[in-house]
Amino acid sequence: MALTALAPAARLGLAWPRIAGALAAIVCATPVFAVLAQAFAAAPSGAQDMMWRAIAGTLRLVTIAGGAATLLGATAAWLVTLCEFPGRRTFEWLLVLPLSAPVYVLSYAYGALTGPGGPIPIRMGGLTGAGFVYALGFYPYIYLAARAAFVSQSVCALEAARSLGASPWQAFVRVAAPLAWPGVAAGAALAGMEIAAEYGAAAYFGAETVTTGVFRAWFARGEPQLALQLASWLLIGALVLLALERFARGRRGFAGGSARWRPLPRARLAPAAAVAATLFCAGLATFGALLPLAWLVRLATFRPPNELSGIAAPLFNTLLLASAGASLTLVLATAVAVAARHPGGRIGALAASIGYAAPGAVTALGAFTLFGAAREAGWIGGLSGPLSFAALLWVYASRFAAAGAQPIEAGLSRVTRSMGEAARTLGAPPSRQLFAVELPIAAPAAIAGALIVFVDILKELPATLVLRPFDFETLATRAHAYAADDRLTQAAAPALLITLAGLAPVILLSRRLSRARAGGRG
Amino acid sequence: MNVYSGRHYDSDRAVFRAFTKKTGIEVRSIEADGAQLLERLKAEGEYTNADLIMTVDAGNLTRLVEANLLAPVTSPALAATPARYRDEQGRWYAFARRARIVAYRKGAVDPTTIASMDDLTRLGLRGSICVRTSTNLYNISLLAARIVRDGPEKARAWARGVVANFARDPQGSDTDQIRAVAAGDCRVTIVNHYYLARMRSSGDPADKAVADKVGVVFPDQDGAGTHVNISGAGVSVHARHKDNALKLLEFMVSREAQTIIAELNDEYPVAPDVTLPAALAELGAFKAEDVPFAAIGARQAEAQRLYEEAGWR
Repeated sequence: MALTALAPAARLGLAWPRIAGALAAIVCATPVFAVLAQAFAAAPSGAQDMMWRAIAGTLRLVTIAGGAATLLGATAAWLVTLCEFPGRRTFEWLLVLPLSAPVYVLSYAYGALTGPGGPIPIRMGGLTGAGFVYALGFYPYIYLAARAAFVSQSVCALEAARSLGASPWQAFVRVAAPLAWPGVAAGAALAGMEIAAEYGAAAYFGAETVTTGVFRAWFARGEPQLALQLASWLLIGALVLLALERFARGRRGFAGGSARWRPLPRARLAPAAAVAATLFCAGLATFGALLPLAWLVRLATFRPPNELSGIAAPLFNTLLLASAGASLTLVLATAVAVAARHPGGRIGALAASIGYAAPGAVTALGAFTLFGAAREAGWIGGLSGPLSFAALLWVYASRFAAAGAQPIEAGLSRVTRSMGEAARTLGAPPSRQLFAVELPIAAPAAIAGALIVFVDILKELPATLVLRPFDFETLATRAHAYAADDRLTQAAAPALLITLAGLAPVILLSRRLSRARAGGRG
Repeated sequence: MNVYSGRHYDSDRAVFRAFTKKTGIEVRSIEADGAQLLERLKAEGEYTNADLIMTVDAGNLTRLVEANLLAPVTSPALAATPARYRDEQGRWYAFARRARIVAYRKGAVDPTTIASMDDLTRLGLRGSICVRTSTNLYNISLLAARIVRDGPEKARAWARGVVANFARDPQGSDTDQIRAVAAGDCRVTIVNHYYLARMRSSGDPADKAVADKVGVVFPDQDGAGTHVNISGAGVSVHARHKDNALKLLEFMVSREAQTIIAELNDEYPVAPDVTLPAALAELGAFKAEDVPFAAIGARQAEAQRLYEEAGWR
């Protein structure tokens, strides 16, 4: 069996998917470009050394914490997918859990657990503290992507390697790892952008990053212009990161021998290695999810919310926003990803993706600029109820399109040239080829992307805070109202609910991945 | 009627409920950070639904004034607010105050040696001070007030002196600083008064134990007075329910509303005739500094720069 290189873009010869993709990319990218346009509309102001320190801080966090997250996530994914050890099936889903806990909650948890009087006698602060919670909070992005990559690869490739005399380790290093690399790189890019955009934990630990600089300039100095100039560095950084990811992924695609109905052969680990694997996964799950959750539960029981209505409406609103936002983002991201397979479509995908590295408040600021201009042109009035809701969904799409588009692109890359050729041989017109062959193949990846966006929106705070309609509370705004004021016992219940609301999609995501093989329809 | 609020407290909801009960006027609100709300207001222009705009911090109030978003209003009820706690043209009125105080570990520091903020730069306090970052608005307004009072050179020297006494790099919240002081990571900190008041009356026994170890100094009682920051409100220039907005503003500055805020949120009232609730009475009454709030707002950007120059992250 041979691994055949794919043509970079399987062309359908249809115009409308490209137009739809371009339109979707424009919708996603406009708030971001409004930020860039405003940032460069004025001369750069002073504060240069603050800027360089901030950029250095962000770079260190992205490389060190992002690298640690990649290492943790990829190792965990490799262990639970390709090895057999005690507890493996439980860890499969347990290791996804930190995805549903906002990192600002993690930072409060570790602030309390390791702070003075806390049970863990280590002091964490500054970049170390922020890096620690980023590695723990963001490794699931790599874990999920790497698992998907490991799961979907061919047994034949591994068996071919073994029959050619490779040891299991050699088969991993020479075959499985390179095959999984594009997935790992995509996950790492997402995690890197999340780290760059994160504000809550960085501010809490006093880490100097571009994002804290943005808020310093905007909230403390009252200079939104300087804030936007700083934020544009994040967007430029995202472009670089995405380009790096493309480069790392290479132009390679792999095809052939996709016998996914056969269960993967798992390496049975030697006892010592098995114990180490169990301990590694247990440690990751404990520090990433179980310990912070236990802390939240303890706080929440100190002062349970006095009335259910205080939580029920925000819960409903949160789920409403997350479902609507994830659906819109999914549609736009699919259009962008389909178009990205055509010449020129990559630019749209890039433009739609860099918003992932912008803090939500900055994207909202970009949207405000556009609203202000539209109002002055007489197109719209104030941000009344429905418009404010729509604006919020738009900002979500702009912010999170990358999380949807990345997996869908990965999914579409599994459409091989031979599939397209087969469809055409059978007389399918191009549009039928898209809807009957390509999209169904990408559907599982699309659902995975939508679930990640759903969880991202559950956790989103700053854009929700300022764009929401009157008297509209979400779990995140409730948790923030208390946490911003150090009333952590009252913030615990809504924060816990955010995590619980994210739990169902996160476990669903994990199970869907496991079933992607061995009889599953993946 | 509609409120845009830069505050996020249960006490404000209780005040709105009391207002609705009294007048029959329903209050809807959006709460977000003050700087963010400013951008929303600018984007919405004359179409905004905001009738009353509330926010925390002198700087946020100043920026609302500079953006011409607040209408000058006055009435006998509003005029009862002490002159220092309202805009001279009536564009905003303060309704709550927060004092930036010095807290220390009992037994580790003689409180008479830290009677002034200037004492925090003393050599004897090397490696003793915990404080949050200079990104924090409370710290920025604190230094902005010093710039107004003493000039930028002295303000920078003060910041440098405090930095020289840091026990650790700035991090965490005000409450975390209090915990660090109680646990022995440092001896002295600068925090807003209500964090300590809340810990003292907390349902969590661990918090109470922390608060018991910590003593309070209202700095500069023999000098310029303790730094205070304010929460204030003003009527939106584009308000569609101007009469109702004025009524709510009058209610905010009333004794009734400020009693609710003092009780539920542990902020000091602005109205002179409010009886302090137990938690605040225990901290005590104090002499506040006399720096105009508009001047504090105007020097915030400079304060941020001076902190950076002084190495206060």
